[in-house]
Amino acid sequence: MSSTLLPKPQMRGLLAKRLRFHIVGAMIVSLGSAFLYKYGVAEPRKRLYADFYKNYDSMKDFEAMREAGVFESVQPKNS
Amino acid sequence: MAHPLQLGFQDAMSPVMEELLHFHDHTLMIVFLISTLVLYIITLMMTTKLTYTNTMNAQEVEMIWTILPAIVLITIALPSLRVLYLMDEINNPHLTIKAMGHQWYWTYEYTDYENLEFDSYMIHTQDLPNGYFRLLEVDHRMVMPMESPIRILISAEDVLHSWAIPSLGVKTDAVPGRLNQTTFIITRPGMFYGQCSEICGANHSFMPIVVESVPLQYFENWSSLMLS
Repeated sequence: MSSTLLPKPQMRGLLAKRLRFHIVGAMIVSLGSAFLYKYGVAEPRKRLYADFYKNYDSMKDFEAMREAGVFESVQPKNS
Repeated sequence: MAHPLQLGFQDAMSPVMEELLHFHDHTLMIVFLISTLVLYIITLMMTTKLTYTNTMNAQEVEMIWTILPAIVLITIALPSLRVLYLMDEINNPHLTIKAMGHQWYWTYEYTDYENLEFDSYMIHTQDLPNGYFRLLEVDHRMVMPMESPIRILISAEDVLHSWAIPSLGVKTDAVPGRLNQTTFIITRPGMFYGQCSEICGANHSFMPIVVESVPLQYFENWSSLMLS
């Protein structure tokens, strides 16, 4: 009976191979999560504040609050 | 004020608080980076049977995990020190107010021009009008001019208290026999709420702080009214 030889499996360096692969994966995942937070949360928040204050009129805001009657030191104009 | 299920900071109402918000975002981004890296590596270690038992030295990896954390720390420290020194800038306040902590209320003294002094007690829930915030409202609010640099001198008459308003980025201990100073600029009109932030007895949770920010002319009208 004839037997064919199987190819010799890789027997050394398995952990190193796994680590090489996954270190790159770990870097990608961690930098990716930081990137996601920065461009998903931090930068939009900075933009929101900048946009809010670009054309902000504090007196107009105050008058609206005054008319709503939320202040105790200032009464609404129509009262 | 805070709303239910809130996770992040309250909206910033002073320039310093805005800087603190952005610094917090920067630092939290780094925290997520490190946490995901560590979690990934732990999962990696727990999902293999492979081992390496011939480790003799680890010079390269020791270098990496010394230098990278040092870089991370510097990346956090530089913006941190920037904000810290920003908070200590001399800004020539237009107004000085004293806030004195008592058990269990605050006294505010506006003594720059005349002698205006009043106590600020929490409004109890049974006396609270509709639409007001439970455990946060006070009978006499602290009125301040908006868009003006203000100095607050904080102390206490009995035990430790702490004068804190999250949306302004202010928290300063009120220590008996000591005068602590904090300065800020309120960028918008409105009401800003805070609570005593140092344990001071039975009613520590029931001595809130309410700042009412109005334009300067209305602040002057209010202080004249309070004096008369």
